[in-house]
Amino acid sequence: MFCFQCEQTARQDGQAGCASAKGVCGKDETTADLQDLLIYQLKGLGELSSRLHRRGTPDQDADSFILYALFTTLTNVNFDRTVFVKLIAEAARRRDGLRGALEAAGEPLTGLSAAAHFAPAADLAGLLAQANIASVRAGLELVGEDVIGLRALLLYGLKGVAAYAHHAEVLGEQRAEIYAGIAHALDVLAHDPADIGLLLDEALALGQLNLTVMEALDAANTGSFGQPTPTRVRTSPVAGKAILVSGHDLRDLHNILEATQGTGINIYTHGEMLPAHGYPKLHAYPHLAGNYGGAWQNQQQEFSDFPGPIVMTSNCLIEPRPAYRNRIFTAGPVGWPGLRHIQHDDYAQVIQAAQAMPGFADTAPKTSILVGFAREAVLGAAQTVIDAVKAGAIKHFFLIGGCDGAAPGRNYYTDFADHAPDDTVLLTLGCGKYRFNSHEFGNIGPLPRLLDVGQCNDTYSAIQIASALAEAFACEVNDLPLTLVVSWFEQKAAAVLLTLLALGLRNLRLGPSLPAFLTPALLNVLVEKFGVQPITTAEADIAAALARAA
Amino acid sequence: MKLTLQTRDAVSLQIDAAPGQSVLAAAEAAGLYPPAMCRDGQCGQCAAHVRAGSYEMGPHSAAALPAGPGGVLLCRCLPTADLVVALPYDDAQLPRQSVPVRAAVVEALHPCGAAAVSLVLRLVPDAASGQAADFLPGQYMELRLPGGTVSRAYSLANLPNWDGELEFLIRLVPGGAFSGWLATTAKPGDRLELRGPLGHFTLDEASPRPRWMVGGGCGFAPLLSMLRQMASFQDPTPVKLIYGVNRAAEAVPEALLAELRADLPQLETILAVWQPEPGCTAFQGSSAEALAVALKTAATPPDLYVCGPPKMLDAVLAVARAAGLPPAQIFAERL
Repeated sequence: MFCFQCEQTARQDGQAGCASAKGVCGKDETTADLQDLLIYQLKGLGELSSRLHRRGTPDQDADSFILYALFTTLTNVNFDRTVFVKLIAEAARRRDGLRGALEAAGEPLTGLSAAAHFAPAADLAGLLAQANIASVRAGLELVGEDVIGLRALLLYGLKGVAAYAHHAEVLGEQRAEIYAGIAHALDVLAHDPADIGLLLDEALALGQLNLTVMEALDAANTGSFGQPTPTRVRTSPVAGKAILVSGHDLRDLHNILEATQGTGINIYTHGEMLPAHGYPKLHAYPHLAGNYGGAWQNQQQEFSDFPGPIVMTSNCLIEPRPAYRNRIFTAGPVGWPGLRHIQHDDYAQVIQAAQAMPGFADTAPKTSILVGFAREAVLGAAQTVIDAVKAGAIKHFFLIGGCDGAAPGRNYYTDFADHAPDDTVLLTLGCGKYRFNSHEFGNIGPLPRLLDVGQCNDTYSAIQIASALAEAFACEVNDLPLTLVVSWFEQKAAAVLLTLLALGLRNLRLGPSLPAFLTPALLNVLVEKFGVQPITTAEADIAAALARAA
Repeated sequence: MKLTLQTRDAVSLQIDAAPGQSVLAAAEAAGLYPPAMCRDGQCGQCAAHVRAGSYEMGPHSAAALPAGPGGVLLCRCLPTADLVVALPYDDAQLPRQSVPVRAAVVEALHPCGAAAVSLVLRLVPDAASGQAADFLPGQYMELRLPGGTVSRAYSLANLPNWDGELEFLIRLVPGGAFSGWLATTAKPGDRLELRGPLGHFTLDEASPRPRWMVGGGCGFAPLLSMLRQMASFQDPTPVKLIYGVNRAAEAVPEALLAELRADLPQLETILAVWQPEPGCTAFQGSSAEALAVALKTAATPPDLYVCGPPKMLDAVLAVARAAGLPPAQIFAERL
């Protein structure tokens, strides 16, 4: 096993990467090796799919499979080795299908990569014996750390793109250019590129593709559930039977709300599902009772305490405790050995569990937080914002975006929010906000100082807000009094980072630690060429941001 | 060594730690489950602060250590003397493996082979657990007779469910207090008190190795629950069941095994009969002897799950050790 795809990867004695029997996330060696093999096969499958796209005859099923399969390999998504054995076999079948289609079309199958020819073993032991070929560091001695690091950046960014594209796809946003772009990136990776310039160009192209994907996801979410509006969300329980829905997938939440209508069961959101309350068509369900708990890393405590079943719809799952093992269900790409998986949107078992469990005995005193400041809501108040900036009431915007995590260094983001001066606006995105979103930040005129834009999935909305402000002030986004403060954790953040780089956005602080797969030379490129700055201390970084703006 | 865990809301919890045991392991052994993720000194999830006492820190990432004096990771903090540790959360947020006490009524009672009965209970819903029959396959419960002091532990044979159903396979022991009650007095509607689930004899579902299960007498019950779990998940892991009985008539009904094989086609079963009658086609000997024969031709060392009476268990463990099975691959439950 070797894995260094997330921020919390083991860093000990100067060595970065999880390389023992079990990774920091809980992924064991068997699963990690199988994930590597699956990725290897997806490169081959993507290569063939890319050829079909170039011919104008793509295979929709294979393209959807690629998104789903890539999504299963993100951090804290799927830990179930039996799932990966099946996906590896399915990838081979689909790859053979695409070969057949190309052959039938008369396309000469020359120049294919080794990945496109790979024959996976039929059983687990055989697969594990093949895993070395697929390691993310394969070829290190030939090409060196920088190339391996850039390939990893491209691959991890691609995983994030695929995850976002999958979320959009399940809500009906299926765009040929997205599938073609993802297949192209896999095609590139299949051939083990060693040209630094080409890899950087491909990474930026992927960042550009991700902007399209995030726009599609925004269209999928708002098209399905309406434009988010500022909404107060109850954060204390009400008496009654209860189901907790975690992860990012709004479609799953919607289907659970539909399936539980009239049952008397209340639905609570957890973690990244919080912004769902801002969508009018989800908020309209009276039994969407509130939000429970905080960011993903607290789930072992929160799920233990929750008196009903839990549905995990996407990342971020961590090892379930015995206390809730039988009542946590996985959906979509998520999996853990021995946990029940929802299939075909059948929530009967979840409902049965909710009815069998005690639920909340009492209604707690009401507490609430405000969500729903996505692009339409913020731009609806654009004149107020512009006037406040012009009048000097708003000096600066800090977009604090990204994931939370357990590492103590993440206190930086709490400190940042708490120390930002009263004449600054905090825009939040992702689950990092749980560290401070219950703090009191006050208002600037009619405008709350903390505006929650949404999930990490809603980056497009934040980019639109920045672009609209730049337009209003007749300047470039980089000239706005705006600083991006990014806390990255997994591969979706890698995709977003590539998008920000592709857009040429500077004034970006990245933390809490920098990606372990980027070598000092590559980090230097990020700093020198793209203006990415590692975080220092909250006070110093706030002062530097305000000094730049002044 | 004595450890004192102090929660943020100033609740003090006293636990014992053995030499070389981390604070996390000591807490878990005491039924307290501090949040922990990597258990490897890397993620920072189990961060806490030592307020008094001495300790050593095992290998860990400096970036995962919490700021301030006495910052430790519970998974890597090895006490070298009595220790006071401050936890960064309230008592209510410290998960515990509480052992529920529940009431249930007899739903059905029928023979299972010549020497055992299958007892099906229905839980009475309560405020803490509702109707849920929440346990892990392989665990057991303590059953107390109506109004009496007689209490016996039996493994669950069915799967966790939301209908409150619990199934036990209980060997009828002549003169036995509980099984005597089952044989003579018990009837549907009788009320029992239960304590559980208990025990750590559960599947290592993350292990990729083949699973071999060896059961003697009613040691079959927890293995049946595990096999039903595998069948329910259509788990493709290779699995072999070796179960020993005194007489062929005591074997579990073939229909039960056929039901398992429907979703678990890879299941191999070996019936070992200790006192075979003429014409018996099963393996003739003990389950330990059957295991010894099978291990000789094992392609890879399996995970071994064994449950049965003490003598049978000792014999099976001796065979496993002689065959060189690593202790980490042996899961045993003594009846």
